[in-house]
Amino acid sequence: MTLTTTPPAELVDLSSIKTVKQVPYTEYFVSGHRTCQGCESALVMRYIAKAAGPRTIVLGSTGCMYVANTSYYTTPWVVPWMHTQLGAAGSAALGAAAGLKVLMRKGKLANELINVIAFCGDGGGADMGLGAISAALTHAEYRFLIILYDNESYANTDIQLSGSTPYGAVTTFSPSGKKRRIMHTRWKKNTPGALVAGHPDAAYIATACASYGVDFMNKVRKGLAAGGPAFIHVLDPCPKGWHYDPQLSHELGKLAIETGIWSLWEMEDHTVKLNGTTRAIATGRAKRKPVREYLSQQGRFAHFTEEDYALFQRRVDEQWTKWLIPGVVSFGIEAGTPLNTPAPAAADV
Amino acid sequence: MGAPTASGTASPHQNGTATTSASWSVEVVYRGIFQKRLANRISRGVVLGARKEGKVGTAFARYGDSPERNGIPAKNFAVVATDEVQLESSLARYEPESVDVSIVVDDTMCKGVESWAWYGVQPINKLVVPGGSLVVTSDKQPDELLRAVKVKPYAYNLVVVPSPVHAGVFAPEGSASFAGLWVDNDDNTDFKCLVAVARVAPQILTLDSVLDIVRERTNDEARVEAARAIYDQIKIRHVEPGEGSTVDHEEYQKPGWTQMREGIVVEAMQVGTRNPLYKKWSTRTRRPLVNFDTCIKCTQCWLQCPDECFEVTPEGTYEVVYEACIGCSICEEVCPVPDCITMVNELAFDNNDNLYPMYASDPEGYRRFLQQHGIALHPELIDKAKKTPAVHQQPDYPSKKQKQPVVTGGEE
Amino acid sequence: MVIAVPPHTTSNAARPKKFEEEELLLTGSEAIAHALRLADVDIVGAYPIRPYDAVMQAVAAMIADGKMDCEYIVAEGEHSQFELVKHASAVGARSFVGSSGVGWFYAFEAIAVTAGLRLPVVANVGNRALDDPGAFGVEHNDALAVRDLGWLMTWVETGQEAFDAAVIAYKVAEDPRVMLPCAVSTDGAFLTHSQHLVKIPPREVVEQFLPKYDLGDRLFHPDNPITIAPQVDQDWLTEIRKQNDAAMRRAPDVIREAYREYYELTGRQREPFVEEYMTDDADYVLVGQGTIAMPGRVIVRRLREQGHKVGFARLKWFRPFPADEVVERLGRFKGVGIIDRDYSFGSPHHGGVLFTEFRAAFYDSPKRPAMINIIGGLGGREFTAADGQEMFNLLQQATAGELKTNVHWIGVRE
Repeated sequence: MTLTTTPPAELVDLSSIKTVKQVPYTEYFVSGHRTCQGCESALVMRYIAKAAGPRTIVLGSTGCMYVANTSYYTTPWVVPWMHTQLGAAGSAALGAAAGLKVLMRKGKLANELINVIAFCGDGGGADMGLGAISAALTHAEYRFLIILYDNESYANTDIQLSGSTPYGAVTTFSPSGKKRRIMHTRWKKNTPGALVAGHPDAAYIATACASYGVDFMNKVRKGLAAGGPAFIHVLDPCPKGWHYDPQLSHELGKLAIETGIWSLWEMEDHTVKLNGTTRAIATGRAKRKPVREYLSQQGRFAHFTEEDYALFQRRVDEQWTKWLIPGVVSFGIEAGTPLNTPAPAAADV
Repeated sequence: MGAPTASGTASPHQNGTATTSASWSVEVVYRGIFQKRLANRISRGVVLGARKEGKVGTAFARYGDSPERNGIPAKNFAVVATDEVQLESSLARYEPESVDVSIVVDDTMCKGVESWAWYGVQPINKLVVPGGSLVVTSDKQPDELLRAVKVKPYAYNLVVVPSPVHAGVFAPEGSASFAGLWVDNDDNTDFKCLVAVARVAPQILTLDSVLDIVRERTNDEARVEAARAIYDQIKIRHVEPGEGSTVDHEEYQKPGWTQMREGIVVEAMQVGTRNPLYKKWSTRTRRPLVNFDTCIKCTQCWLQCPDECFEVTPEGTYEVVYEACIGCSICEEVCPVPDCITMVNELAFDNNDNLYPMYASDPEGYRRFLQQHGIALHPELIDKAKKTPAVHQQPDYPSKKQKQPVVTGGEE
Repeated sequence: MVIAVPPHTTSNAARPKKFEEEELLLTGSEAIAHALRLADVDIVGAYPIRPYDAVMQAVAAMIADGKMDCEYIVAEGEHSQFELVKHASAVGARSFVGSSGVGWFYAFEAIAVTAGLRLPVVANVGNRALDDPGAFGVEHNDALAVRDLGWLMTWVETGQEAFDAAVIAYKVAEDPRVMLPCAVSTDGAFLTHSQHLVKIPPREVVEQFLPKYDLGDRLFHPDNPITIAPQVDQDWLTEIRKQNDAAMRRAPDVIREAYREYYELTGRQREPFVEEYMTDDADYVLVGQGTIAMPGRVIVRRLREQGHKVGFARLKWFRPFPADEVVERLGRFKGVGIIDRDYSFGSPHHGGVLFTEFRAAFYDSPKRPAMINIIGGLGGREFTAADGQEMFNLLQQATAGELKTNVHWIGVRE
């Protein structure tokens, strides 16, 4: 097809999905991808495509969701999809969105709303490509959505630790051995917190979890409807990397939230809101489950001792008792610091 | 395909080492990730065992199968030779052209395997030479397995390494593989497989070499004796040409560079279709059976399936598309109705047809079918279930009728 | 350094035109910016590094003054810079990008895949020495490093040629028979920052010359059901590389066509591949690419004054390497001196990149002149008259069979 100036019918549906029964039936990411049994990252892809609908182009950076899905010389994508490089989700989204914008402005392409979505894994996005994502989120004039699917490792290369791997987890770069029982002593960095704190021109930033599919799909739609650069960080359990029976994938995602290890929140209109179970925990309506319930079901923590569980629990407790906003910002604030500066009276302006 | 081993005149069933220069190949077909360590121990065991007899060898995983994915079939190889010159023809290659012994450590793979590195489903015995052996770890009888294994135009042996039925949380009774799935059980499966090789292909390695390996690894004479005992328990079934399954699998034709589109472009999938180039059913060891009577149309199975396997029936319930299902069991976990979705042994089925048509045309027959698989029917739940409202309706995808891009935007 | 526009040889004679051109005094970088303006480039990805970024500064000024209409994105690094224009190109936007030295290397991954994806991005490489140590002067190794990957590569000499070649680059790169990215190299300082008199044709002339950028059924757009660049294995790569090979093999004819058409329109750039100077009756010829041709021609005139029959030939396109032209044109000389403003440590005979390529081009030819390699000008060091004398002496000696080795570094302090 050549660049077309004929406008399409209005086909972008970004309305809120109120209940599970309103989830659209049509798949834009179909069966026949070489992913593991129980792969929640593939479920994330399915939800993204389903929520965004047909007027969408997807840029997929290198990782499981590239290699597993489109090998060999095949594809499960209905919507147009293009490969981009490991650390390039941010720049790919920016370039595609900017290209579409200028073509429409110059009249070389029909003016319409096109969803531009770029995805990256935690390795490609939170490590290598963080700079590119950060730069992209400063461009208020373009609209696109960057989605980081976090299975807490470089999974496609057979599971190596990344900056998003939890403390103590076994990976092929951090095996548990006789001399060193725990090789990975870094705490998981708070990527969505870092991005929401530092990018005042981002239109929408949120966290999600594959086990909360309706919440995630609504966030995808909000990100696309926000009218500027948007980012969602979604946690998805990985049976291969986390060492558990695939049938537990859905349950483990829920436990990540219920233990308070991962938090569900969103920033829209420059306001952060906690969502769902996270909100219930923060307001005291629900009690956090002990982290042991979550960690002990995963072989990647099989070497954990009582001390390790205690350390992990302590750090998670801090997220909830010391951080200014649980799960969002990774610091407290000096006692007595006023939090909301009142708006100046008209005469002072 | 079907040619004898690369070189040498040794017959696979001669006892003792061959005096002529020769090489032999063994493959291990296994469930990716789950049985990775097991497969590695077997192929290395072949090489290290043969080494005790003065042979040289190499062991390697099939590169295209890497990175492995949970459950997706993968292959490991061991090539053993009398000398380096013979060995060299097997080096710097992705896989041997043929194998003397193929070891299958999950019997559901007898139905055929579609791995990473392959296009379309391949017969499990594809590489086995005339007179060679297909060794399967199973609690089934050889004849039962043979029903699933593709016919060959020549004779070979189907060898069963027996196991007791494995009962447990993640591998229920009648399950496909005793070798354990996501947990790596050090349960002697590797030794049993090596013993099987010694039994049917002693020119590769002898029983004594295998027992030496067991001794070295375990330092446990009881396990050495257990391995020796397996030698006589192995069942060898001679397979005639034409015996087995005649189910045909598609051949995939790769286009040439003048037919391929420029710019590394392939056509996208159409709405309402599934990727025909990767059907993925050979990844599963168990398949979910749905009780359409008690389904309350909560949509959870459909929603939580990472492989988009569920389709809505005319009644608003959900059925499994077995060509696409990889048997992860998430649907069984998330279904809120007791025994509405139950995972059962894949080997009991010889096709991937959807099962709702059976229920629609003969509901009583379908209920009996569920009961035959040990599934409780819960008749007390049926009335309420039938009254639940349908959420989805099967759309009329134009792509099923004509080739046009579809631009519907989701509907109810 | 002000360089007078050299007189054209008979092979590049001007022809009368049918329109008025504006004459401006521009650096090579500014000249390229004007070309982008007239080519209606849709998007520019910028990132600062000397000396190429003068072109980006010029573009920014044009945009700010309303003389150019395009998206201008300043990236946070060269990798992102090159990635974003690649994807803009995929959705159908005519794109421009550029870098120098290690900046170009920071984008290497993106550079490789742009060619693999057959996207006709045009990049200006302001040739600069690679670190370490840091230096701003010209060497060609930055651009040359990508020579195997499927980029079209041209070296220009004057501000005029920078303008002309940038326009021609889009024509050739976007031709459906080619669809490969194109690197237009401009020597750091000598071209990027020196001002020449440049004639700029009216916009309509450029618009007439350049068709719309049309990706056809490869356009990345919701209406086009494709997946671009799925993962592959050994079953597919040979065929995919073969397609790139075929595109590059078609490029020389497309280049010839483009230059012919441009010459008809403007009377300039008659010669697509090899520009000769005082070669008609020459026995010896010095060869180089880029601004080295200027001191090169000065050296030739001086040697001629001494009675030597020497000429200079300038290679304009490095990829596709015009082997047929090179062999035909240079085969008639007794001795050829290939000047490399680059190095290739450990190569056969430790020769520079051009030397090795010219030798390969000549291997099967029955007419093989004596060929020596002059490595010099590294880091932007100027070529002097003494250098010229030494080059010629070496060339003469080599042709007479008096030299043991053929690779010579000149102007080196011992």
